[in-house]
Amino acid sequence: MSERASAPSAVRRPRWAARVRPRVLEIVWLTFVWVLLWGTFSPLSIVGGVVVAVAVIGAFRFPPAEAHLPVRPLRLLLLVGYLVYDMVVSGAEVSWQVLRYGPAARGAVFEVPLLSSSDRVVTVVANALSLSPGAMTLQIDHAHGLWFVYALGPRDGAGVERSRRRTMDMQRRVLAALGTPEELATAERLLAERGC
Amino acid sequence: MNPVAAGPVADVVSAVLMLSGALSCLLGAIGLVRLPDLPARLQAATKPQTLGLSLILLGTALRVEVATAVTLVLVVLFQVITAPVISQLVGRAAYRSGGFPDGTLVVDELAEHLPTDAVVGDEPAAERDGRD
Repeated sequence: MSERASAPSAVRRPRWAARVRPRVLEIVWLTFVWVLLWGTFSPLSIVGGVVVAVAVIGAFRFPPAEAHLPVRPLRLLLLVGYLVYDMVVSGAEVSWQVLRYGPAARGAVFEVPLLSSSDRVVTVVANALSLSPGAMTLQIDHAHGLWFVYALGPRDGAGVERSRRRTMDMQRRVLAALGTPEELATAERLLAERGC
Repeated sequence: MNPVAAGPVADVVSAVLMLSGALSCLLGAIGLVRLPDLPARLQAATKPQTLGLSLILLGTALRVEVATAVTLVLVVLFQVITAPVISQLVGRAAYRSGGFPDGTLVVDELAEHLPTDAVVGDEPAAERDGRD
């Protein structure tokens, strides 16, 4: 916060505004959840929500959010739609594994290049994958930019490559919504190299 | 005190949602019994469960008052946010304590990357190093 306040562009604003500005989205989100919990859109629940949100953010000092997270609302909506679709389709695939192979089902642990250095984007990427049936994040190696994934289903090398491509594709979709243009370009290049 | 939706169409949609949710939960339970190892069972236990619960709650949300329906949607939202974190934590802990048996993985590219001191559990380090 201190370096933010000493930056030339922030000098004109009062101190509290510089402190609150990066938190506005978090306050809006917490207020939204609070109002949903009450189930009524009354002025009292909204004001109460803002008070609680400010109190929560004041009490739990999260690290300040990174300054620029490019958010593309349409792509984000597409991502949410894809996650729902993926839950159904991958869910059916897991069910097929269960019914067809059962005790003979196989899995694989493989690595995928992790293209974003933003903690928040990495969190979304890891969670998006873990939400998909049959796959989960096992380990993230930030230093080497590697992402280790467990997938249920691959029975041979070709199956592993297929799972790897799907994982890369999931990452590309998240980067399309939240990543920088360079990260997205890298993801698309890597996917093209693997031929799909 | 009106439900979100009423009429025969809403009845059918709600019933379809709830029945497919129940089917998804059932398939998850069968997977829990039939699959061979911990990570695979973890998939069956967490993912179809999330989908099943979401479908059942959405089906229910159609038939109750708006205020209650909103709370049910909130339950779905938090389930979707938290379930992956749980499966990730359990999977990671299981991997590091030797819960992934050798025979059921086609490849394990993480084994070569983990520093040996990061592996805990009763399995001797030498045995773990020899794993492919």
